[in-house]
Amino acid sequence: MTSPRDPLPLSGRQPRAVRSALAVLEEVVAAGPGVTAKEISAALRLPQATTYRLLNLLVGEEYLVRLPDLKGFALGRRAARLALPVTVAPPTAARAVVDHLRGLVRWGVHLAWLGAGQVTLVDPDPDHPPSDAALLARYPQASALGRLLLAEQPDWRALVRDLRVFTEYTVSTPAALTAALDRVAADGLARQCGELRADRGCIAVGVRAPGDGRLVAGLALSGPAQRVAEPNPELVALLREHADRLAPLLA
Amino acid sequence: MRDRPVVPRLRQRSPVHGLRRRGLGPLEVLAQSVSGAAPSAAMAATPAIVAVSAGGATVWSFVAATVLALLIAGCIARFTRRMAAPGGLYTLTAKGLSPGAAFACGVALLVGYGMLAAAALVGGATYLQALVLRLGGTGSVVLPVVAVVVVGLAAGGLALRGVRLSARVVLLAELVSITLMLAIFVLLLAAPLPGPDAAQPGLGLGGVAAGVLPALAAFIGFEVATSLGAEARRPFRSVPRAVTATAVVSGLLCVFAAQTQVVGFAAAPGGLAGQNAPVAVLATARGWPWVAPLLDLGLTMSFFACVLATVNGIARVLFSLGRDGVALRGFGRTHPRFATPHVAIGVVAPVLVVVLAVALLAGAPLGGTLTFLLTVGTGGFLVAYLLVCLAAPVFLRRIGELTWPAVAATAVIAPILVAVLVAFVARSGGTPVVVVLAALAVAGACWFGWLRLRRPDRIAGIGVYDETVADDVLGADVVGAGVPGGGDGPGTGGPGTDGPGTGGSRGPDARPDRAA
Repeated sequence: MTSPRDPLPLSGRQPRAVRSALAVLEEVVAAGPGVTAKEISAALRLPQATTYRLLNLLVGEEYLVRLPDLKGFALGRRAARLALPVTVAPPTAARAVVDHLRGLVRWGVHLAWLGAGQVTLVDPDPDHPPSDAALLARYPQASALGRLLLAEQPDWRALVRDLRVFTEYTVSTPAALTAALDRVAADGLARQCGELRADRGCIAVGVRAPGDGRLVAGLALSGPAQRVAEPNPELVALLREHADRLAPLLA
Repeated sequence: MRDRPVVPRLRQRSPVHGLRRRGLGPLEVLAQSVSGAAPSAAMAATPAIVAVSAGGATVWSFVAATVLALLIAGCIARFTRRMAAPGGLYTLTAKGLSPGAAFACGVALLVGYGMLAAAALVGGATYLQALVLRLGGTGSVVLPVVAVVVVGLAAGGLALRGVRLSARVVLLAELVSITLMLAIFVLLLAAPLPGPDAAQPGLGLGGVAAGVLPALAAFIGFEVATSLGAEARRPFRSVPRAVTATAVVSGLLCVFAAQTQVVGFAAAPGGLAGQNAPVAVLATARGWPWVAPLLDLGLTMSFFACVLATVNGIARVLFSLGRDGVALRGFGRTHPRFATPHVAIGVVAPVLVVVLAVALLAGAPLGGTLTFLLTVGTGGFLVAYLLVCLAAPVFLRRIGELTWPAVAATAVIAPILVAVLVAFVARSGGTPVVVVLAALAVAGACWFGWLRLRRPDRIAGIGVYDETVADDVLGADVVGAGVPGGGDGPGTGGPGTDGPGTGGSRGPDARPDRAA
């Protein structure tokens, strides 16, 4: 989590350092994984000591990683956050499955990609519009879909910017979120009641690739908060059934 | 495309898998190092020891030792900014020097942490007993033995339960003890005794040099955060910072404590050097009898935090030796739930406790045992520091990132450390310390010889660390990790190919040893 601690304006040679750091990142992408510090320094005509410092800084922040020989560099997982996730519209067959579920329940039914490390709504319910897509993408900890995504991470802090409080029910402490995510991982079902909007709640299950079980998408039902809080076994069963049907279509 | 670099294959899981990867915050990492150095114990005890050698140059000896510790921290940081290794200095040395040197560093580190843990146990027991005596209790050999057994096993249990819990306990204990120490020292400095003006201490270079060795002993253990590399959240940032910050904090506290005590005893015959419990004497002279029990309490806590930190450290060195296959493979196992090297901890803690308890029951004096253990441990640490400082520039050269400051730092520090080591041996000449160290060195050499003969392949591959795994790399399937079921399309390395699903390493294949 990054907090804006130091509001000082950029001064002196800092703008150049920022430019150089971005150039280093770009060079690692351009040259491909395994490029060494010397090669980067030569390609960018940066002094070697400066290059090493920038590389160590970027490795420390985990935008870059050192490959096992300790010489070569590659983009780290965190660098994914620098790019917009590539989203593809779901195939017609998948939309038909989602529509089928909409016909069976009186709740909002939403489908979102989770594969790119971000919640991206691809088939929101037109009759029950979900919360703002940007909000869902930005605060994954407050939505059921986002929690599916976070429960999958080795460390959820990698994807959570700040634990913003939206309503009096919003999970706002790291310990509470960790507990909530442990429950999601255990049940395979994520739930939030009135945490984003006090009157609305959501339950969601993951759509997993049939081969390796990786999480590709999430299917969510949204409705009145107090209804979501109930166990709803038949709804959950229906949700799981449709998620299973989506798996071969989306992965 | 012509000069496309050759990419080494990525593993699906870290060679040090089984430890809880990337979980500890920066504060918890720092606490580990600070407790390892146990600055509050050093504040109370070392100035008087340094004064015996340094005389009027006591404070400057601490300043010199701080500079030395910072240079060592700099050498360690050249590694820890680039790699994370539970084996600490042992693994770092392996990445620069030959396997033989790395092995020597491993043995030295085992001796260092082992002796420091034992010394801290004895130290804690000593001050606990002093506290009980001051509060009107009766002294006997039973109390220290019980304290050693209880604290030793409790430290083992906490270390076993998880590094996060033990880091928090350590942080709390160390905060309390440092606060107590600072409060006491500020009070002492603020209320100087009326007396003849303190003669300005002469700044003799010889005095400074003679005082550096005992002053450096106040820092040993400050590098123990390196052993948490694999478990820290942003290890390349938090570990080097923790080690450097500990050197700075310990240095400042010790210089401050030395100054307070030197000023306090300026008028006394023999000065600070003749004192056994200088802080308590200073407080009593001001009519503050309540300071002594507080001091004992602070020291007890600091020593016990140090036990916990060093047990964590030594267990991870043993764990790495086990994973390298040069110690028993069993040491490389981790607990399925707590994700700690439980076999190593389960061996180290009871051995420490039993050996110490037997020694104390056999009539070993507390004070003498403490000094002896600390001296032997200092020998181990000096060897380990020297080796890691020598390894730093070689390592940088090997990965093609050598800069002249790295060479200069080693060129300055290596001769000094050699001189300090020679002074250490000369000073301990004829005492059991040298005999014990020689015996340990011979044992290490025999161990190495046997490995060389029987397991040359393992010796050659020594130095496992927390490598980057497929999961850490964006678009790892493109890098050629051979992700199973790679149905991700052509893979441009873009984020689209990088589902969190590659986190399959969290699945059952991740840790087969967990089934055990």
